[in-house]
Amino acid sequence: MFEEIKKKYQEMFGNEKLPYLKCTRCGHSFYYPRDYCPKCRSRELEVRESRGVGSVFSMTKFRDRDNKEIYYGIVELEEGFRMYANFIVPVEIGDMVRVKFLGKESKVPFFEKI
Amino acid sequence: MIVGFSSSIHKKYEGSTFQLLAETVSKALDMATIDLKDIDGIFYTVLPGVFDGKASLHFSSFQIPSFLGIKPKVIELVEYGGPSALTMVYRAEKLIEVGEINTALCVVGGKASFLRENKVTVDAVDRFLGNVQLTPYDDLFRVYQDLNPVSDYALVAKRHSKLFGTSDEQRALIAVMQRKNALGNERAMYKTPLTVKDVLESRVVSDPLRLLEIVYPVDGFHVFVVSKHQRKSDLRPLKVEFYGESHWSEMPPELPDIVYTPAVESSNGVNLERIDAFQLYDSFTITVMLQMEDIGLTEKGKGGEFVERTDITYQGEVPINTGGGSLNVGQPAFMSGGVILEEAILQLNDMATNHQVKDANRVLINGIGGWNRGHSVTMVLGEGNV
Repeated sequence: MFEEIKKKYQEMFGNEKLPYLKCTRCGHSFYYPRDYCPKCRSRELEVRESRGVGSVFSMTKFRDRDNKEIYYGIVELEEGFRMYANFIVPVEIGDMVRVKFLGKESKVPFFEKI
Repeated sequence: MIVGFSSSIHKKYEGSTFQLLAETVSKALDMATIDLKDIDGIFYTVLPGVFDGKASLHFSSFQIPSFLGIKPKVIELVEYGGPSALTMVYRAEKLIEVGEINTALCVVGGKASFLRENKVTVDAVDRFLGNVQLTPYDDLFRVYQDLNPVSDYALVAKRHSKLFGTSDEQRALIAVMQRKNALGNERAMYKTPLTVKDVLESRVVSDPLRLLEIVYPVDGFHVFVVSKHQRKSDLRPLKVEFYGESHWSEMPPELPDIVYTPAVESSNGVNLERIDAFQLYDSFTITVMLQMEDIGLTEKGKGGEFVERTDITYQGEVPINTGGGSLNVGQPAFMSGGVILEEAILQLNDMATNHQVKDANRVLINGIGGWNRGHSVTMVLGEGNV
């Protein structure tokens, strides 16, 4: 089950869709995969597709070893879950952002400013 | 009661981690006038990469007592990172109280220079040592570029500023006042006066946190001897007057908000009016500010105003991190609960030469640590006088 969820996440990433988990018993939405609900222990979970739109909960910037500026932070999605991500462009807390998948073989959700 | 303690801090220690450990243990046992054969409990902590660069020690519970020549009845590994040292002392006291053991050795530290020189932190050790898992969700968030733990606390500082208007100057004041405390502390590594301007002009490591707001990982150990018997020890018979721990296991994005720490819960019920000095875990300036708020020295969001109107030096009205804290002593093995615990013991024994708080009879120590800030321990040390 846990492995299935993780596989499903990777498949959805491949199709440029942002997954999340919804507990159909208590309604809790979360991003980091577990095969049971950390709020009510239910196993009645659905992998759903997020619209990929949200706002910046917090962010920071720093320079990597090649002196490139990196924008890293937490995004709060409309569906009510939050996740870590990198931003493609500089953003501020409260900015609206949308998911954009980067990478060729294995895709990763980044966020860009709307 | 605590009958002996010692520390060994080096920017870089050339010998093995076991050697450094043995040296520190010897000093603590000498102070306590206790022999190896009298130790029947050992409490310790270990983090990946800080024992001579090993990802882990196979049966550290064997290796550590084995090297030291200790044959204890009880061995316990406490893995809370920063607050581990506080928990060890508390558990040792409890086991002594119920008669399970008589004398325990509490050990915290390791070597941080190996990771530092390889340009990783203990929160990014997976990028250097194979087969280390930081969280159950590594495959989802380790694909991003972060600078943890600095970037994690930068997210907190940034959000704290956004929500409450906290300024960079206010955070810098913490570093400045702690440095004032460090000036008289012989254990401190950094002992040149610091201004707010110096802090603000130091390099931004992860916006908004600057170099002079961030702890420096060093090699070193802190050892505390807790015993039923006072023997020849000249130390005050200190007791744990208050103890609370709290663990928030959520990934930071899943917390209700990132500007709170589990210190909100671990400090629940503590009486701040009776405290003469505070030792608050200071891996970053923002960590200190969060704990000031979460233990109740000031309201949530008012930490900035608090440090503007309060002298937190050892001579001030609310003395905090009276030896300069880990920001100035260094952070042994990426977990410096030992630094703040040792400073509390020095203060309570009138041993804090040139940075002594007058009439220090009760000290609150708060440790924060683990992955991000999942663990918090609040402890008050005193003689137990009502």
